Amino acid sequence: MTAPAGFDRWTLLYTAKRRVVACATVIEEMLGWLPADVEHEVLDFGLHLRPEKLREALQARIDDQSDGADVLLLGYGLCSMAVVGLQARKAHLVIPRTDDCIAIFLGSCAAYKEQSKKEPGTYYLTKGWIEVGDTPFEEHKKMVEKYGEAKARRLTQILLKNYRRLAFINTGQYEIERFREYAQKTAESFDLRFEEIEGSPALVQKMVNGPWDDEFLVVEPGQMVTYTDFITPR
Amino acid sequence: MSQELIDAITDMREEDAVAITKKLLDGGASPVAVLDACREAMGIIGMRFETGESFMPELILAGEILAQISAVVKPRMQQGGEDKKLGKIVLGTVQGDIHDIAKDIVGFMLDINGFEVTDLGVDVAPEKFVETVKSTGAKIVGLSGFLTLAFDPMKHTVEALKAAGLTDVKVMIGGGQIDENIRQYTGADAYGKDAMAAVAIAKSWA
Repeated sequence: MTAPAGFDRWTLLYTAKRRVVACATVIEEMLGWLPADVEHEVLDFGLHLRPEKLREALQARIDDQSDGADVLLLGYGLCSMAVVGLQARKAHLVIPRTDDCIAIFLGSCAAYKEQSKKEPGTYYLTKGWIEVGDTPFEEHKKMVEKYGEAKARRLTQILLKNYRRLAFINTGQYEIERFREYAQKTAESFDLRFEEIEGSPALVQKMVNGPWDDEFLVVEPGQMVTYTDFITPR
Repeated sequence: MSQELIDAITDMREEDAVAITKKLLDGGASPVAVLDACREAMGIIGMRFETGESFMPELILAGEILAQISAVVKPRMQQGGEDKKLGKIVLGTVQGDIHDIAKDIVGFMLDINGFEVTDLGVDVAPEKFVETVKSTGAKIVGLSGFLTLAFDPMKHTVEALKAAGLTDVKVMIGGGQIDENIRQYTGADAYGKDAMAAVAIAKSWA
C-alpha cells in the first residue's frame, strides 16, 4: 500500500490493523478486495430506513471493535446523517465522503451527482438491493398484503409518480444476468425507462487499500463525525 | 372535535373518513372543527412515522385521505364568506430531489391553516423559486428535500433569493434529516420536523 503524497502520517495507518463494519449491500462489493487478515462485520440493510437506529447499531459495533483495531473502515456513506455523531475511543474511523451507497457502487460522488443531474427521478437497483428485497416489487407486495391490490396499486403509483428511470447498477458481480432480468421486469411493470449503468470498484478499492484521499473522512480516535466533515473540502 | 373522524383517519379507513366528514358537516359541524380533527389526526400519524410504527404507504394514504376531506370541506368554507388568508407561501422540493409526499402534506396543512400556497412541485431550480416569489409577492418560502443531496440546492436557493434582493423573504426548510446544523449550512431562517412545525413557523412569520 502506498500513501498519497503529503499524507505521510497515514503510512502507519495503512499497515495498521483494520476491521470493517459494513452494510449488507456494501459488503458484497468490498469482499473481493479485502485482504484475508481484515475481519468484517455486517449490519442489516433495513437499518437505513431508521437513521437513529442505524447510528445506535453502528456505535455499538464501533465500541465493541475499537479496542481491537487501529482503523475501523465503515462501509457506509452519510446515510441520512446516520454516521454523524459516531466516535471511536481508540481506533481511527475511515468513511467514504458520500451521501449514500449509490456513490460507493458508482465509484465516486462525482459519478453519482452526474447520474442524479441527468435524471433526478431515478430508482437505483443493484444486486445487493434486489437480494435484500428493497425493490418496488417487494414494497408493492407488502402493500397488497396490508391494503389489497387496488389500493396498493394506487399507493405504488403515488410513490413512484416522480420516477422516470430505473437504473440497474452493474457492479460486475456474479449471476448478474439474473438480477438484470429482474431489474428489467421491474422497470416494465412500473412503467419506468430501463437503463444499465456501469458500476466501479474505485471507491471500495481505495477504502480497503488506500490512499484515503479527499474522498474519505479519517476521524481521529476520540473525535466525533460531523456533517461539516462531509462537506468541507479537505 | 370528532374522535370518530380522528380514528378513521389514523386507522387509514379512507371511505369511512370521507363519509364521517360528510355526516358531520350535514349535522351542522363547522368546517373548522373538521379541519381541527384533521390536524389532530396528522399529529398522531406524524408521531407514528417518527417512531417507526408507520411507514411511507401510511403517509401517502393519510395524504390522500386529507385531500379527499379537503375536497368536501372547502366548498362549504367558501359558503361562509371569503376567509382572509394569513399570507402567501411558495413551496417546492429543491433541485435534484423528487420526493414530495411529505411536502404535499405540508402544503395541505399550510392551506387549511389559512395560507395561500403556490406549490412548484419537485426538482425546482433556484431561479424558479426567485421568479415565483417575485410574481406572487410571497414573503415565505418553504424548501423541501429528502436526500442529503438536497442540502446544497437548498443553500443555493437561499443564496439566489438574497442575490435577487428578496431579503425580506423568510425561508423554512424541512424533510429527511434536517436539523439546526443543516439550517445554518443552508442559511435558511428556520427548519421544521413535520407539517405541524411548518404551520407554526409560518404563523410566527405571518
